[in-house]
Amino acid sequence: MDEKTRDDLLNLFQSKLNEAMRFYLETCTRCGVCTEACHVHASMGQVKYIAAYRSEIVRRLYKKYFKGRGKVWPSVGEAKDLTDMALEELYEAAYSCTGCRRCMVYCPFGIDTQQLMSIAKLLLIGASAEPEILTLLADTSIEKGKSLELFKEGFLEGIKRLEADVVEKWQTQAGSTPIPVDAEGADLLYVALAGAHSIIPAAAVFNAAGENWTLSFFEAVNFGAFVGDPSKTKLILDRIVNEANRLKVKEVCICECGTAYRVMKQLSGKQPFKVSSITEVHARYLKEGRIKLDKTKLNGRVTYHDPCQIARNAGVIDEPRYILHHLTDDFREMTDDPRYNWCCGGGGGLVALGEDTLDFRMKSSKVKVDQVQATGAKILATACENCHTQLSNLNDHYKMGVDVKFLSSMIADALVQ
Amino acid sequence: METVTYIILVPMVYVAFAVFFIGTTVRLIKIFREPRHPSTLQIFPEKRPKWLWAISDTFLFPTVRRHKPVLWVFLLAFHIGVFLLIIGHLELFGDFEIFQIIPHEIFLGKGFVGLVVAISLLYFLFRRFTSPVRELSVPEDYYLLILLFLIVLFGSQMDWARRWYLYGELGVEHYRDYLSSLLHLSPELPIEVTDTGHSFMLVLHVFFANLFLMFFPFSQSMHSFLSLPMNKLRRG
Repeated sequence: MDEKTRDDLLNLFQSKLNEAMRFYLETCTRCGVCTEACHVHASMGQVKYIAAYRSEIVRRLYKKYFKGRGKVWPSVGEAKDLTDMALEELYEAAYSCTGCRRCMVYCPFGIDTQQLMSIAKLLLIGASAEPEILTLLADTSIEKGKSLELFKEGFLEGIKRLEADVVEKWQTQAGSTPIPVDAEGADLLYVALAGAHSIIPAAAVFNAAGENWTLSFFEAVNFGAFVGDPSKTKLILDRIVNEANRLKVKEVCICECGTAYRVMKQLSGKQPFKVSSITEVHARYLKEGRIKLDKTKLNGRVTYHDPCQIARNAGVIDEPRYILHHLTDDFREMTDDPRYNWCCGGGGGLVALGEDTLDFRMKSSKVKVDQVQATGAKILATACENCHTQLSNLNDHYKMGVDVKFLSSMIADALVQ
Repeated sequence: METVTYIILVPMVYVAFAVFFIGTTVRLIKIFREPRHPSTLQIFPEKRPKWLWAISDTFLFPTVRRHKPVLWVFLLAFHIGVFLLIIGHLELFGDFEIFQIIPHEIFLGKGFVGLVVAISLLYFLFRRFTSPVRELSVPEDYYLLILLFLIVLFGSQMDWARRWYLYGELGVEHYRDYLSSLLHLSPELPIEVTDTGHSFMLVLHVFFANLFLMFFPFSQSMHSFLSLPMNKLRRG
């Protein structure tokens, strides 16, 4: 690695050094309490997957370049030079971490490994060593925000084709649009994913609840966050913030996508609208009696997988359980304490990397399979696209024999007219 | 030899304390002047009051108790022991009524506090020789534990000698004379401190303590100050 590249990368490292990051970089005592926290280590048993080990890969660079002792006495903390080999280690650490933050529950100090891995991801971007597909997807999202007019017509045509399916689930009143788009003055802006499965059930439930809603032109997923690029994360986020402000909505509802929800909820700043997950909105409709569900629609025991970014990292924990108690009398928890639910193994961009990561995702998530199977459930519900894909892959790979379902679809299918 | 003893017991002590106080203060100022993280770093479900739970996390290590109960016993014993030893050292500078709520001879604990801390440190050290903590550890972790063990061993030995073996030549009043003179910037070394049978214990105790104090601001020992704000971040 030439000196100029190294300096550029160290500048990127420096840009991440806020107060919290300094805490995390200065404090680890390498006590090993986090050993059992990571699903990858628990499934595969290799030391390199222990949270403290991953963090130390970033920390060794910090000790070398951002602490005086890195120059005076580097060996005391095994400070390390930033080399091409170090970048390979960073890649392995960052892209085997799903950012689930389960280790943060174990750490006596609460060190956030996801934050430290965000340094690794940013350095990889700086060295053009990140997974290209994630950057391409992020760039496509940003481009769509810049040139909406080019996409608009095709999008509206596609939406039109879904309307019949929405009406099939819930009959709307004559003259009303089953999937309103670009409706200024709507109360709620729904931000879906690219795919009918993310739009049809949600639309049916909004219509059933009599919601004054509108569909966003943009997809919720934030590939900028997956690849760890703060500026792209912000640009992708801003498309939705600007649209919400233009339409003067009171609430932005994010579809079943964990990262999208957490980014929107925690990074959008102070806005005139509130941010909710679709699970929160559905629970609210049930509480207010705006929708009713038929408990006889589901056969067999149901369990629920808490998407890490929605539950442990954003606090939507009671709502899915409230909904599930309206859907079934045979619900079984995976853990007593939702903080300890295992990650599905698909976060942090791993599912988005598709076949490239499939083998690793299957091997690294054995503990999740065991956790699901211990419940004896026939239906595995979740509220995140990534988790759904990963759990479906696990279901096929390990022949779990469960039916992996989106919570929103279960609600739409159980709506009582 | 006298010169070495003098250097360790006088100028090195001043240097060590200066490095400790200035180093720690400067490093903390630097860390706390960094910009705040733009979003919450909280873990859910949340419990209120958040401050109280953060304090509980910081001082009672509930996550360690849940996941590594044996380590938790030694961690709690070690930290309580260190706290009592700090009180003991403060009492070497003068009488503090507040510390005498429970009347005691200096040091608190009749020598057993040092013993518990020394055993805890041995446990921490031996634990680092076993996988996977061995693979996670860096030299700093061993140096600190060895340094602390030596400090506690030589320091406690002086206490044990007085209490358990009736060694009376070097006692609390002599330490007080020595420390008071250092505090008043007119260092004096009483003959009992430099030329009695256990003087070398004191010299070694002070020497290793000096090393520890000088290394403290640049080591993971800074967790003493950073643990609470970090736990507050986790609690929201």
